[in-house]
Amino acid sequence: MAEPLAPIATLQSFAIEIIVNGTPWKGNVPAEEVLLDFLRYRLKLTGTKRSCESEVCGACTVLVEGKPISSCSYLAFEANEKSVTTIEGLASGGELDPLQEAFIRNLGAQCGFCTSGQIMAAKALLLNNPAPSYEQISEWLNGNICRCGCYPAIAQSILEAAEEYKNRR
Amino acid sequence: MLQPFRVLAPANIEQASTELVRLGERATIYAGGAELILLLRYGMVHAEYLINIKCIDGLSEISWDGQTVQIGATVTHGRLETDPLIHERLPLLAVAESQIANIRVRNQGTLGGNLCFNDPHSDPGTALLLHEAEVILASKGGRRRIPLSDFFSGMYETALEPGELLEKVFVAPLPIEWGAVYLRVHRYQRPTLNVAVAAKLQNGTVEDARLAVGCVGPKPQRLSELEAKIRGEKLDGAKRICADSKRYLKDRLEPIDDLLGSADYKIYMAAVLLSRALSQAGQSNGKG
Repeated sequence: MAEPLAPIATLQSFAIEIIVNGTPWKGNVPAEEVLLDFLRYRLKLTGTKRSCESEVCGACTVLVEGKPISSCSYLAFEANEKSVTTIEGLASGGELDPLQEAFIRNLGAQCGFCTSGQIMAAKALLLNNPAPSYEQISEWLNGNICRCGCYPAIAQSILEAAEEYKNRR
Repeated sequence: MLQPFRVLAPANIEQASTELVRLGERATIYAGGAELILLLRYGMVHAEYLINIKCIDGLSEISWDGQTVQIGATVTHGRLETDPLIHERLPLLAVAESQIANIRVRNQGTLGGNLCFNDPHSDPGTALLLHEAEVILASKGGRRRIPLSDFFSGMYETALEPGELLEKVFVAPLPIEWGAVYLRVHRYQRPTLNVAVAAKLQNGTVEDARLAVGCVGPKPQRLSELEAKIRGEKLDGAKRICADSKRYLKDRLEPIDDLLGSADYKIYMAAVLLSRALSQAGQSNGKG
């Protein structure tokens, strides 16, 4: 008996609906398009950086449904019907997020290339654990590499931002 | 940029298996993609079709049947790291899962993908060998259940036949009164080497023990001869036997020089970690 030729859905592109930084987006994306390219080239959200493309460095970290992923290696169609948050989505009404303010205050960056990834990873941490210890911060961010070596200032920024969130509640 | 591909959305294992057979080498199974997307990017895997098994109901479940924890192939590492059932029944696995790469990889990567990829530098396999885990391999022709130790056949190689996919992993908790420890050394995100050790102690004597080592050779291994040797020994004696086991480890593990460490270094550290883990497992009795 002959096999049925294409018995199941086979898609070259996907019609997706996603919410990026609170704004809905609807359209078609090729199956092989990664979320990083979707954000940078389609939406012109270039705050998310391309670096190692191996899920190691963390420069491309964005949040999908509040969880950090490497957007360089996450297929865009997987974000269908989900919310995506990038560094551009943290400030609200012209006011920086406490994390952004703390990074500036503490010089949590030197060249700045890894910073959006650091801040997005930190955001996910504080969503998950509003009062992390220094050790928990270093554990959570072990996959966000800073070649300039700003780790102590990054950790201090996250501790201060956690305190600031607490005061605002 | 990735080369264009098409994504198939099978509704069940039979459909996925039929497509795997029909498309042959042009297709590959896609679950989390944490390993696959990198291989596609670097041209180490060529695929015109990705068969997305996340579309199959039931593959993302964790359940307990009274004796065994059943883990579906598409359960992510992040879920295993935090799931209350895993913490209660398989705490050693939760620890090993929490060490994998980084939080982003754990959110995306799946246990099934990790086991099928069978990278020698990996965390879950070593922990699961300690539990004598078994896997269900399914195809349109039916299902077979084999020990994980037989599933790992070589470096990046498994016992999967054409048209077969990994459906579930069966993991029995350690017997009560056993203590268990997972240790690894690493400089980068993958473990340079790891050990998983479980032991039952009675009045300072090793009544029973299981030892597993990963990353030293092509695949993780149980050390049944060494286990037999330390059975009945006092803890201090058993630790010494582990620390002095380098010759045996060298014969047993087929050590390989690689980017993460030389064969000699890995053998040396495997003996150190086995001894250390046995000591810690002895102290954590009943918490395995």
